[in-house]
Amino acid sequence: MTSYLFQRLAGTLPVLLLISFLVFSLIHAAPGDPTLLLLGEETNAAEIARAKERWGLDQPLYVQYLKFLRAAAAGDFGKSFKYAEPVINVIKTRLPATIELAVFAIIIASLLAIPLGVWAGAKPNSWIDNLGTTFGLFGISMPSFWLAIMLILLLAGVLNLLPTSGRSTYGIAGPEQTGFYLFDSVVQKNWPAVWDGLTHIFLPALALGMNMLGILMRVTRSSILEVMNEDYIQTARAKGLREKNVVWRHVTSNALIPVITVVGLELGTLLSGSIIVETVFAWPGSGSLLITALNARDYPLVTGIVMTYTLAFVAINLIIDGLYAVVDPRIRY
Amino acid sequence: MIITRRVLATLTAVTCILCGALAVQAQSRVSIGVTETIETHNPYGDSVSLQYGIYSEVTGPFCTYSYAKGDFEGRLAERWKVENPTTWIFFLSKNYKFNDGTTVTADDVVHSLMNRVIGDPQSKQKASVAPSVVKAEALDKFTVKITTDKPTAPLLSFLCDRLIVTSKAAFDKYGRDAADREHMMGGGPYQLKELIPGQRLVLQKRPDHPDAKKHPNAPDEVIYRIMREPEQRVTAFLNDEIQIAQFIPPHMRQRIEKNPKLRIAPIDSVEIMFLAMQPKPPFDKKEVRQAVCDAINRDQIIATLLEGFASRLDGPIGPGQYGYDPNLKPKMNYDPEQSKKLLAQAGYANGVDVELQTPVGRYTLDKQLTEAMIPMLNAAGFRARLLTPEWATLWANVQKGTVPFYYMGRGSVQDPSAALHQYFHTGETPRIGYSNPKLDELLDKEQQEFDPKKRRQYLSQAMSILTDDAPACFLWRHKLLWGLNSRIDYKPLPDARIYAIDMAVKR
Repeated sequence: MTSYLFQRLAGTLPVLLLISFLVFSLIHAAPGDPTLLLLGEETNAAEIARAKERWGLDQPLYVQYLKFLRAAAAGDFGKSFKYAEPVINVIKTRLPATIELAVFAIIIASLLAIPLGVWAGAKPNSWIDNLGTTFGLFGISMPSFWLAIMLILLLAGVLNLLPTSGRSTYGIAGPEQTGFYLFDSVVQKNWPAVWDGLTHIFLPALALGMNMLGILMRVTRSSILEVMNEDYIQTARAKGLREKNVVWRHVTSNALIPVITVVGLELGTLLSGSIIVETVFAWPGSGSLLITALNARDYPLVTGIVMTYTLAFVAINLIIDGLYAVVDPRIRY
Repeated sequence: MIITRRVLATLTAVTCILCGALAVQAQSRVSIGVTETIETHNPYGDSVSLQYGIYSEVTGPFCTYSYAKGDFEGRLAERWKVENPTTWIFFLSKNYKFNDGTTVTADDVVHSLMNRVIGDPQSKQKASVAPSVVKAEALDKFTVKITTDKPTAPLLSFLCDRLIVTSKAAFDKYGRDAADREHMMGGGPYQLKELIPGQRLVLQKRPDHPDAKKHPNAPDEVIYRIMREPEQRVTAFLNDEIQIAQFIPPHMRQRIEKNPKLRIAPIDSVEIMFLAMQPKPPFDKKEVRQAVCDAINRDQIIATLLEGFASRLDGPIGPGQYGYDPNLKPKMNYDPEQSKKLLAQAGYANGVDVELQTPVGRYTLDKQLTEAMIPMLNAAGFRARLLTPEWATLWANVQKGTVPFYYMGRGSVQDPSAALHQYFHTGETPRIGYSNPKLDELLDKEQQEFDPKKRRQYLSQAMSILTDDAPACFLWRHKLLWGLNSRIDYKPLPDARIYAIDMAVKR
């Protein structure tokens, strides 16, 4: 296991290097100049030249990249042009909100998709299967920005059940400790803040998790269908086990591997997919930060956020690989 | 006796609780849905309208532009005088105090201007607030001398509502970042209570402030909530989540008008919208530029797509803007036949290919409005095509001078001097690349002329040349639609700045 882990870690280095090169070159190749976008309309040529020198943009691109690599190796992504703070610090303040949102999106998606997928797979071609399949297709097909607006219109507008945007109501939260608003509120036993946080997170999490819900439901269904035909399931039935026990204990546990893979991969996708949803719901996470950074052509911040997402993706994949061995004892590294 | 005492004690306690509850209820709070975002604790770290407005309120505007009077008014700087064309003297009010009780002095103004706006490497405001300022010095505790590198008659248009005055003592004691983040000192009627970048900013009224005493019904707390999506702002406004909604798109106003507790307040923006033309073929010929201007039916566009929520511009600026001349000649007109003739005169009787570039989503209905211009241009003989690049790309290319024909807005035009120099003075910026020695002379003169009457004359003559030579077609100023709850009495400002002290909450 340890040697496998080292092997995988070594394999991630070229991936990170390649991604860093691609992001760095693409963002610099994109039209737009941060000095022109950040310094206001009345800026003159001398001001622009000074800003370029200060931000190192007057140097050749390969020099800028090599400097970036050297600093990144020490965990430093440079200083944001817009915020004038180390990129790591800027990301640190915004990442907890995104992680909180992604985790909630996964919880909502899993709670709905897995039971629905199991029922649909256990009773193929039944009404529940048709309903689940339609629901899954609905989730996959809907663009998150459209769904987000529709949810605001329906649940916040027509029914007036939930707030339209933001992460919390002013004046309810206690002092920030970890940056995870709900976690902090639970630790502080500030129940009004917990409820407030839940009402704020529900709409963006649902909008974000809907696509995953569809995928997860379909994967669970097909995985259940596959396992249902295995010999050991027939054996379990022959032993006289009740169908409910067969499905939930024997079929579901064996059908979980592809589901875990999808959950893992989707967690990475959710981090990056939150960009649109965060913008629509004014969720102060790293996704909306990326939009701000892109609009300002804040090269260090864009590169830093994308590299953070890449690292998260790689780490999640590693964890998923580890989980395979826990779920399925046949898998050994 | 004991029972009586207990009853009295209970009654007193209940009364106190009720008083407390009433006191809490008496606190008024207004939430405002805004489209821009404040992303940094450094008041000098960004150069956007919302940032200037909010921090001007926290720190007390240095001076302000009164749209009612059409002139600048004193605030922290009570009055001023021009000592010579490059030297201004500002006399400060002695009543402005920071929220720690210390008095705002000339040292704070000098520090804010020289160390923060100009000297701070994080500052993004040098060009917008102090483009020609080379020196600021305190003559005494309440007098500041500002020196410019060239005569700058419109200096007030840069300083007023933009110069943010922060505490020098707090800066020296805590250092820049801690002073901005944890000890934000201001001399204004509100103080900063909370800033969550990308989500909200909260201000709290300082009841002891002279302006707060003058405006007892101004809200005790103001929450600026970032809501970029119009649908979100309108929904939150209808649900009373916010009591003021910035920039309602015209097509959504009916949903609001149906609710008797809500109203729409339209206000002419000071942002001028125009079509800019680089004087390169085919726009190197004056007739072609004039043909473009004659081809656009501005009244029809305003009446239909904009549902009347815009004011037509017959020249570069409109009523309420400094230097506006209602008798300006020539005036821009819609005349498609004249447009065809001009195009033929320019040697394009068989038409000419042009590509109009527009941002998408930056200005009200920008894409739809320019889409409507295409058939109008084609009817006049152009073969026009619409391009819609991403804003960052378009803006960078405009600033480099590589976009021949584009739809654009220029905001903060209370005084048109900076905008006219920026777009039309030779060599100032490559945005249009236009050059006209006569116009340059007039613009130089107006910038150095401190007699308001003469300055207005120079501006008027310069704008007359622009309307005739048509390096740009001036189209309209949008009417910005604000959603206001009936509990709030407030008149929005044309420059979209929001001053909570001017609001009155019905209690």
